[in-house]
Amino acid sequence: MKLFLKFDFNTVSKKVLESKFNELNLEYKILGFGEVELLKKIEPEEYLALNESLNDYGIEIVESQKGILVQKIKDAIINMVFNEDTDLKVKSSVYLSEKLGHSYGYLSNLFSEITYSSIENFIIIQKIEYSKQLLLNTELNLTEIAFKLNYSSVAHLSTQFKNTTGITPSAFQRIIFKRREIAQKKPN
Amino acid sequence: MHTDYIHIILADDDEDDILFFTDAFDELKINTRVNTFNDGEELMNYLNDDESLMPDVLFLDLNMPKKTGIECLREIKTSDKMSGIAIAIYSTSASEEDIEKTFVLGANIYIKKPNDFKKLKKVLSEVVSINWQYHTNALNKDNFLLRL
Amino acid sequence: MKKKYLVQSTSFLRFILLLSLFVILVIGGFTYRHISNLTDSTEVVIKTYKVNVELEQIVSYLRDAESGYRNYIATKDTFYLKPYLNTYKKVNNSFLRLKGLIEVNSEQQENLKVLKILTDSLFSNFSKTNVFVKNDETNTEAFKTLYFKEKIIIDSIRRQSTVMFELENKLLNIRQKENQSDLQFTPLFFYSVLLATLILIIIAYNKISNDLKNIKAKNDQLLIFKESTNQSEIIGNHGNWIWHIDSNKFAYSDNLYRLLGKDPQSFEATFDNFLKFVHPEDVDKFAEDLDKMIDVEELPVTNYRIIQKNGSIKYLKAYAKAFYSVDGQKRLIGNTSDITDEIESILTLEEHNLELERNNKELSAFNYAASHDLQEPLRKIQTFISRLEEKEGAKFSDSGRLYLERIKSAAARMRLLIDDLLQFSRTNKPDKEFVSADLNDLFENAKQDVAEIISEKKTKITCDNLPKATVIEFQIQQLFSNLLSNSLKYSKEETVPIIKINYTKVKANDTPDLLKASKSFYHKITFTDNGIGFDQKYAEKIFELFNRLHNKKEYSGTGVGLSICKKIVDNHKGYIFAKGEINVGSVFTVYLPVN
Repeated sequence: MKLFLKFDFNTVSKKVLESKFNELNLEYKILGFGEVELLKKIEPEEYLALNESLNDYGIEIVESQKGILVQKIKDAIINMVFNEDTDLKVKSSVYLSEKLGHSYGYLSNLFSEITYSSIENFIIIQKIEYSKQLLLNTELNLTEIAFKLNYSSVAHLSTQFKNTTGITPSAFQRIIFKRREIAQKKPN
Repeated sequence: MHTDYIHIILADDDEDDILFFTDAFDELKINTRVNTFNDGEELMNYLNDDESLMPDVLFLDLNMPKKTGIECLREIKTSDKMSGIAIAIYSTSASEEDIEKTFVLGANIYIKKPNDFKKLKKVLSEVVSINWQYHTNALNKDNFLLRL
Repeated sequence: MKKKYLVQSTSFLRFILLLSLFVILVIGGFTYRHISNLTDSTEVVIKTYKVNVELEQIVSYLRDAESGYRNYIATKDTFYLKPYLNTYKKVNNSFLRLKGLIEVNSEQQENLKVLKILTDSLFSNFSKTNVFVKNDETNTEAFKTLYFKEKIIIDSIRRQSTVMFELENKLLNIRQKENQSDLQFTPLFFYSVLLATLILIIIAYNKISNDLKNIKAKNDQLLIFKESTNQSEIIGNHGNWIWHIDSNKFAYSDNLYRLLGKDPQSFEATFDNFLKFVHPEDVDKFAEDLDKMIDVEELPVTNYRIIQKNGSIKYLKAYAKAFYSVDGQKRLIGNTSDITDEIESILTLEEHNLELERNNKELSAFNYAASHDLQEPLRKIQTFISRLEEKEGAKFSDSGRLYLERIKSAAARMRLLIDDLLQFSRTNKPDKEFVSADLNDLFENAKQDVAEIISEKKTKITCDNLPKATVIEFQIQQLFSNLLSNSLKYSKEETVPIIKINYTKVKANDTPDLLKASKSFYHKITFTDNGIGFDQKYAEKIFELFNRLHNKKEYSGTGVGLSICKKIVDNHKGYIFAKGEINVGSVFTVYLPVN
């Protein structure tokens, strides 16, 4: 028997971080997704131990200031896309520069420099990721999803989906559902 | 997690294709290590060895002697140790149904071998970068499907 | 129906017979009664006469007695007393007879009593007067009174006998009248009863003669039927047989002998004789089936082979059913037919089908393998060309570069052909899954397939709301995308391509295109474009494999795309038609059956 889980990555990451930081007796404050403030100065040995123990979970400590800012951009985008309260109608460039206090041009250049891909591309990837989740875990149909994610039309969403993943949303949905079907048949 | 390079494995029995593949990665200047195997059995022997380093992305040709790509795919997906590997089917061509079948069996990427070397490079770099996105950007790997 | 009629006829005749018997009995009864009545009335007449005779005798005896007595009184000669003395006896005898004769009538009885009293009083008066005569006192007053009284009594007797006489006559009259009316009615009654009987008999005769006529007609029909059965047995290669279970006797029809390769009735019809013909491999099964048949009373169709004397093997098929005749005898009525031709043609057909299937499989496997396996070397050629061009291109002379370009375009063309062929052979594979799908989704996917060219040519596409249908999803998507790409490929250069997709559900009967259609309702989907169109005379040719209407320099088609469309529509038991007008556009109409 297989279970299908829907993760809230925020919560999962937060729990992991909490347990790790507590393990090492560090005083900390979680500021947001991927941002932790250490309340006391940390010893180099402690820093290495923390880095190692976080690495087990695929979490890295981003070191440079630029890297930190990129992470913040990513957090902001993820927050923008996945958080139901944010208004997707606001232009992402405006949203990001307001939220991070830098000009969009600066952020965009920085992002490309560090990640070798554009902010726009990242936003698309996140939106498609969210639409995948909605396709698989909700009863919403493609039209409703397109509306929810502020696409001008279903065709727009499905074109973007196809361009990003190489397959159509319906094929995607079909494939994953078939996988689940097969997994459920197998006694595990 | 080795952060200094990306470990890539290609299993393909065709020498020319292996040549194109390795040439492409050489020219791409991404920090990669490419291992190649000439048939499915060789590949599985490597993967089943506890000493072996698991790849970040595994490129599988479907038509291989001894063990076909599909057989390898099934084996990998039933193994706890290997099921996490991102798998790219790397094949000459297939019908839409065959492509869907490999996705259903657990492949993440389906690449139709391009006719053009430039295109090949573009495709391979895209695979690596998107795979990287899945590693770094908290994307759900179970929903990772890409057709190129 | 006929049976019912016969039953009715039989019961009707039975009814007539019973009725006639009843009528005859009634007639007998009546006749008996009438004759006995007649006898009765004759007896009554005789009796009345006898009564009258007796009465007259009594009166005459008394008159004789009286006259004798008067003479006696006058002469005193006892000789005259003789009649008187005889009279008493005679009168008494007459009274006894009368009493017997008039027993029944009470009024007459009373009258007789009165007469008797009168007679008795007369005789007592006689005795009294006799005393006076003996004593010779005839002149006395007492004698005279007595004598006078005597006269009165005789008168009374006379009157009384007259009364009785008249009464008897009256009774006789009444009886005679009654008898007469009885006798008058009798012939009429007899006549009408006879008439009724006659009518019944006529009806019965009519009925019987009708029945006979019917039976004769039926017999004729039976003869005709028998003859036509004979003929049909010969034409239809079958024969029939009857197995009298109780006496274990067989009867074969002529043609059954012929089926066995023998002359009609040329050997005795027995089970063992028949078994001699049955193929040794089938004997056990055949005998078993026959045994079963006796129990279950119905032989399910059984197949077996026989070997004729000349050695040729025939396939026979038999069926039998138990039949009980009117006398309760059980028979099996069977029919055996020679299905050798049928079996042989089925066998050859099967063989041909297998061969065809094999050929088809081989062909499509070959097609698939060829197109699939050719891809690989071609891909390598193309990749090597691209490497060559990239790495060494600069070193080439102008003509070298030209050749390289030519090689490139030839390889690209080959690629196109192989891809299309592969696509075509894929649509040929039979084992496809039909599922219910929303055609709108499939159309959207198809649009995605050609999205690049659509936006490149700024194409305007409008599409009606499409239905749900049970289809092979990949193929219908392929169909839509091929039709779209066909319209896009053959668009006019300086015009914005417009493609309209319209949908209606149609009834096959109302649609001229679908006169030969097997289903009653179809989804009609039309693709209308404003492209270069084509000459209507090629409307059927364009669906043929590798058939192209244009030079490959002008348009890049391979002549496979529309063949694939046709194949897909065929796979769905649908129809596709093309209509074109040069420089105006083309219309492709697809009919898919509504399930």
